[in-house]
Amino acid sequence: MISFSKVGKWYGDYQALVDINAEVAKGEVVVVCGPSGSGKSTLIRTVNRLEEIQQGTIMVDGVDTHVRGGDINRIRSRIGFVFQQFNLFPHLNVLQNVSLGPVKVTGASRTSAEARSRELLAKVGLAHKCDAFPSQLSGGQQQRVAIARALAMSPPVMLFDEPTSALDPEMVGEVLAVMKSLAKDGMTMVCVTHEMGFAREVADRVWFMDAGRIVEEASPDEFFERPSSQRAQKFLAEIRH
Amino acid sequence: MLDIVREYWLLFLVGNYPNGPLGGLALTLILSVLGICLAFPLSVVLALMRTSPWALLRAPALALIYVVRGLPLIMFIFWTYFAIPALLGHTVSGFVTMLCALVIYESAYLAEVIRAGIEALPKGQVEAARAIGLSHMQTQRLIVLPQALYNMLPSMLSQFISTIKETSLGYVISVQELTFAAGQVNNMLLTQPFEVYALLALTYFALCFALTSVVRWIERRIQRGRRSMPAAAASPAASVEGAIA
Repeated sequence: MISFSKVGKWYGDYQALVDINAEVAKGEVVVVCGPSGSGKSTLIRTVNRLEEIQQGTIMVDGVDTHVRGGDINRIRSRIGFVFQQFNLFPHLNVLQNVSLGPVKVTGASRTSAEARSRELLAKVGLAHKCDAFPSQLSGGQQQRVAIARALAMSPPVMLFDEPTSALDPEMVGEVLAVMKSLAKDGMTMVCVTHEMGFAREVADRVWFMDAGRIVEEASPDEFFERPSSQRAQKFLAEIRH
Repeated sequence: MLDIVREYWLLFLVGNYPNGPLGGLALTLILSVLGICLAFPLSVVLALMRTSPWALLRAPALALIYVVRGLPLIMFIFWTYFAIPALLGHTVSGFVTMLCALVIYESAYLAEVIRAGIEALPKGQVEAARAIGLSHMQTQRLIVLPQALYNMLPSMLSQFISTIKETSLGYVISVQELTFAAGQVNNMLLTQPFEVYALLALTYFALCFALTSVVRWIERRIQRGRRSMPAAAASPAASVEGAIA
């Protein structure tokens, strides 16, 4: 569903991604972890071209997302993206936040888009908040709206960029619960997260990144019990304390 | 001073109207409101060009804004005064000349106000809009401008207030606005310039002070709205950190 081949990215002289070669199969859940500055967020942001790459190709659902002259808006509309900071539109209410994409990008009628948005909001447990504005919601609720907003475009893949890192601890659970139910429904997902409990329970594979490379790819059990690289051993020791 | 008010209040308010052209405070207000209203759409276009990712659009907007901001308004008044008849082949009224100069001048200043509003928005707003597939223009129209213009409302109104004061320069090309009316009164009285111009100052001050109070009230309302936002969503710095990690 997603494939990286020979991907390289530079910020000036600094190489942020080094020769990334990896695949995510349909329905698979991949958790990306690694120390800060290792390129996790950069990697996930290259998938829908929020970051440009200077080398290699990234295919999503059979489409090269970095092709010159491609319809980037159409490509992006087929890739759900959830941000660390939620980034809801503060001047629109919850229902408008979710239905904006279908109405403006895919040209759905307002009534059908709103009906579907209500369904999605019910799915993330926020059916009663349709008329609220983002500023009236807690962080956990905002992030669940953001997930519904991404789902509204019916994307075949969902990307999560540290979706729980900006949340108070008591709100992490409600967001992870929504993500778990998505995974159970067979959604293809790539999540940058430090939630190791989530990784163990939901992920099919873990990618461990360091210094712009994927240094280890393993099943969660293998990764957490017997990490092969020294860097991963050190990282795991650090997050367990 | 009260005698002057009693005698000439109508001239101050509307000029020689209805026996002559409309002038005085009424014309000052009409000039300012028209000037800002016509400058506003231009300034939005300029601000969008100025913040555009394409250098081809950025460069001309930047050049225009810098030229205008680097010159005094009276230069533009003189230029339009001589340029418009040369371009059109016939003369236009002082009012139209002044309006053209004001629109050019104010649109450059307003454009910078709007640009500041656009650049102050968290980067995540544009990213979120682009991530669901909105185009650059859709993102500007649906996400960026509604927020930027709302946040910048107080600054735009301040610009309107300074426009009111700037219309007084119309005096030099005989636009019969408030300052011109005061000049007329002074010419009739001859002996009381201090009182006449004090009245003029008082009128400008009262108008601008009232409007400034309105701006302060709007500013407080907008800030109250911002405070009710959770810290995480309101902090642009945090979202930048997230992008680099």
